[in-house]
Amino acid sequence: MRWFQLLAASALPFLALAAKKPSGDRFNDNRSKALSSGAALKLDDQSYAQLTKAPRDYAVAVLLTALETRFGCTLCREFQPEWELLAKSWVKGDKNAQSRLLFGTLDFVDGKNTFQSLMLQTAPILLYFHPTVGPNAKADAQPVKFEFTQGPQTAEQIHQWISRQVPADVPKPAISRPINWLKIISVTTAILGVVTLFAVAAPYLVPVLQNRNLWAAFSLIAVLLFTSGHMFNHIRKVPYVSGDGKGGISYFAGGFSNQFGLESQIVAAMYGVLSFATISLALKVPRIKDARAQQFAVFLWSGVLLCMYSFLLSVFRMKNGGYTFWLPPF
Amino acid sequence: MAATEGDQFLKQATGRNTRGLLRVIILCLIAGAAVSSRLFSVIRFESIIHEFDPWFNFRATKYLVQNGFYSFWDWFDDRTWHPLGRVTGGTLYPGLMVTSGVIYHLLRFLTLPVDIRNICVLLAPAFSGLTALATYLLTSEMVTSPSAGLLAAAFMGITPGYISRSVAGSYDNEAIAIFLLVFTFFLWIKAVKNGSVFWGALTALFYGYMVSAWGGYVFITNLLPLHAFVLICMGRYSPRLYVSYTSWYALGTLASMQIPFVGFLPIRSSEHMSALGVFGLLQIVAFVEFVRVQLPSKQFQTLLRALVVLIFVVSFGGLVLLTVTGVIAPWTGRFYSLWDTGYAKIHIPIIASVSEHQPTAWPAFFFDLSMMIWLFPAGVYMCFRSLTDEQVFIVIYAVLASYFAGVMVRLMLTLTPIVCVASAIAFSQILDTYLDVKTPKAESNENGTSDPAKVAASAILPDSLRSTRNPLVGIYSYASKLTVVGASAVYLMLFVLHCTWVTSNAYSSPSVVLASRLPDGSQHIIDDYREAYYWLRQNTADNAKIMSWWDYGYQIGGMADRPTLVDNNTWNNTHIATVGKAMSSREEVSYPIMRQHEVDYVLVVFGGLLGYSGDDINKFLWMVRIAEGIWPDEVKERNFFTPRGEYRVDDEATPTMRNSLMYKMSYYNYNSLFPAGQAQDRVRGSRLPAEGPQLSTIEEAFTSENWIIRIYKVKDLDNFGRDHQSAGAFDKGHKKKRASKRKGARVLRVE
Repeated sequence: MRWFQLLAASALPFLALAAKKPSGDRFNDNRSKALSSGAALKLDDQSYAQLTKAPRDYAVAVLLTALETRFGCTLCREFQPEWELLAKSWVKGDKNAQSRLLFGTLDFVDGKNTFQSLMLQTAPILLYFHPTVGPNAKADAQPVKFEFTQGPQTAEQIHQWISRQVPADVPKPAISRPINWLKIISVTTAILGVVTLFAVAAPYLVPVLQNRNLWAAFSLIAVLLFTSGHMFNHIRKVPYVSGDGKGGISYFAGGFSNQFGLESQIVAAMYGVLSFATISLALKVPRIKDARAQQFAVFLWSGVLLCMYSFLLSVFRMKNGGYTFWLPPF
Repeated sequence: MAATEGDQFLKQATGRNTRGLLRVIILCLIAGAAVSSRLFSVIRFESIIHEFDPWFNFRATKYLVQNGFYSFWDWFDDRTWHPLGRVTGGTLYPGLMVTSGVIYHLLRFLTLPVDIRNICVLLAPAFSGLTALATYLLTSEMVTSPSAGLLAAAFMGITPGYISRSVAGSYDNEAIAIFLLVFTFFLWIKAVKNGSVFWGALTALFYGYMVSAWGGYVFITNLLPLHAFVLICMGRYSPRLYVSYTSWYALGTLASMQIPFVGFLPIRSSEHMSALGVFGLLQIVAFVEFVRVQLPSKQFQTLLRALVVLIFVVSFGGLVLLTVTGVIAPWTGRFYSLWDTGYAKIHIPIIASVSEHQPTAWPAFFFDLSMMIWLFPAGVYMCFRSLTDEQVFIVIYAVLASYFAGVMVRLMLTLTPIVCVASAIAFSQILDTYLDVKTPKAESNENGTSDPAKVAASAILPDSLRSTRNPLVGIYSYASKLTVVGASAVYLMLFVLHCTWVTSNAYSSPSVVLASRLPDGSQHIIDDYREAYYWLRQNTADNAKIMSWWDYGYQIGGMADRPTLVDNNTWNNTHIATVGKAMSSREEVSYPIMRQHEVDYVLVVFGGLLGYSGDDINKFLWMVRIAEGIWPDEVKERNFFTPRGEYRVDDEATPTMRNSLMYKMSYYNYNSLFPAGQAQDRVRGSRLPAEGPQLSTIEEAFTSENWIIRIYKVKDLDNFGRDHQSAGAFDKGHKKKRASKRKGARVLRVE
């Protein structure tokens, strides 16, 4: 039985430690800590366990995250300022601590054991521990989990989620975003700068702005971009290009309502070449004075038109299996 | 083309009349082609209303014809959105119904008793003929070449981009709206060219008709001011512009406010503010122009210009302020999502869920426009050649509409007219150049121009396009003429083949009736929808409430004539989310919801047996998402995915999925069709669990021939006050679970 005594003796200091802080005070201690630091509590394994220990008359919201660059969690780093903002506005706004809610952040570096014991594979994860004793206690001791499946969240969205967890009659302090003076000042300066620049450079700029060729190019590029599905790339965030599984590159995505970024650019280029050939045939060729040069230009542009259109049709056949029309040579 | 060839032969005195006659005949032929290419579905199937929304329009038209105009105007429909009802007369665009009603009464007056259904089915093809005519008029205003208009009309008549929304039976607002759109633009161009109040007022009249017909009128409301604004910025302000714009704006706004659904929106919502702003700007500019003519002092002119800019900035700021303070309604979600493309996905899942609102990939553009997609930029470029006021309009329209069509598949419809016009301009330029019989003499600069106006134009405008700097010479050799004309003919023929193929294969299915091919090649009609709707009509009480996903609301209302909970007029998101919650929750949760809404029957669409992919299980995630938007704690999208993030229906489906009402209703009894353990879902391509789901609160009432539609009856409350689970267990002979174990030891009763 000696080892048992030894164990008991070794446990004594911890008991003393636990006895020094009465459990009713945990909330106030941590809250004052949070108030003084003006942010969420920075936790490690030990303080996490201590904060979320079972008889608990307050609620805890803990963000489990991995901030260091070597973990490559961009979502964690993107969300961190929002989380700090939320914690700060909540703690500052909740003057009388009516919600009895604490905010904590547990980084993976400080809390490997916690991550293991919770069997977490991904970060960040937000846990909300309901109080286990007191008027707002919940029977279910398990924390409520918020998973960031929909990408980065704003402080307002998380605020909404947390507000649903705390009891309805408790006031929920609103998020106070600090005014971004830097942005306001820089935007104002930029606008004034542009106006000044325009006023100074007007004599040189106005002829450029009134240049018809410039506007024509601008309109044509816009039309070509939009009709080749650029907005689809932008909205769906499609990959630029993808492999074909055999080490090569597949330039064209399979399927009628699907495309790659490079694919739409190729298509835009094809449209551009076809349009340019049309314009040349219609406007430029009749203005060539030399008969032989004109003959050559007609054949050249007709050939370009035919080949390009044929290639476009062959690409389209690839996208739409049932399409039957074709032109030589492709 | 025929007209241009005719030009060569008919230069004599009677030429003008003959050419006019030829043009009329060609236009009639084009209209005939436009109508007949839209009749595939009538010939293959029958004269039937298509899809979803047309069923509501059809029902409303019948109501109008039966009850007269005034009761239609005040129509409160208590058979939709049960128990809320819908103020239908005040929340629809009545133009379409009134048009068919007028045609119906006109034909009756002419003693032609035509069924209203046939009028509704054939309205869209009939109006497509008119659209071709309007396109001809619009294009003829743009360029001098007479063949461009005819080509544009032909393009417009058969292009799939327009046919997709105007086949026979597609009785939707777009059926007449595209004609009105093009015709309003024609009148506007006419007004700007002539500066006449008459044309401006006509523009306003047709604009008012357009407002009454389609929500897309906002496109006109913003495009015309933009045109005027760009003209002012280019320094092309003229009294013509002032007269046409102000007469259009004043009369058009009054006309649009007559529609109850629009009401005071033109002065209270952001979509209409650009029109108002440009109206104000025009007044200032007109005043300044007036003063400038009177006082020719240089400094004073500068002062006036500064004044214009200042007033413009101040009023713009005022507008922003009014929007922020809420006097003017901000952009409505549907329009706002056109600019901020991520907005709808986050905030309005119901808009994002509609397949018409998805962005457009490039194959869709080529599919709908074929060869015109690359003629279009060339045509826009040619507009920069002389860049008259009306050609500026083409450029603006082209850029804006291509953006909108890229963001939303549905708006391909607004792009199509301008594509037809611009490509016709480009194509007719080629044909006019190469079909010229005259050959210029070599080494001479002057003769052989096919169009003297162009030479004059390029001489007058020194800052012309790079490609038109040199004087026009003409085409020397017959070989080049033959090459280009031959290739053009081939391309045109290919275009016609493409259009016919697309129309026949993609856009002529009523989607109420499905067609499939039997192994021997003959056509087999799958008519499950109508079978089920007629079952409802004949076997249920007249006011039995049907719960289904909103897609089928209009069809149930139109074909089964039964009250529905939600329908395709998605005005109440919460009500739709309620249905979504009932579908995606456990039976114990859904049953009280259904009881509260007095639901008698539940209808689901299931394609697993046939491999019909547009079924409810594939739409299920949207129901979950929309329900989650309202009840984030009770419905969670995550729970419908396996831990590996897959959406599955087989053995590995999550418990939430397998207990949801939708899953149970879809697969109830399904494995009885197969040998034990062999049940196969042909859409998802997965094998189903050996044990099928059990239902306790609802019972199967009807399943259509191919299992596409399944209808369940909601059970009444149990006679003994038990819940349905235990009643079901009792009927099966299971022993009631003893709750007595916790009672403690038995004690002797002593009293």
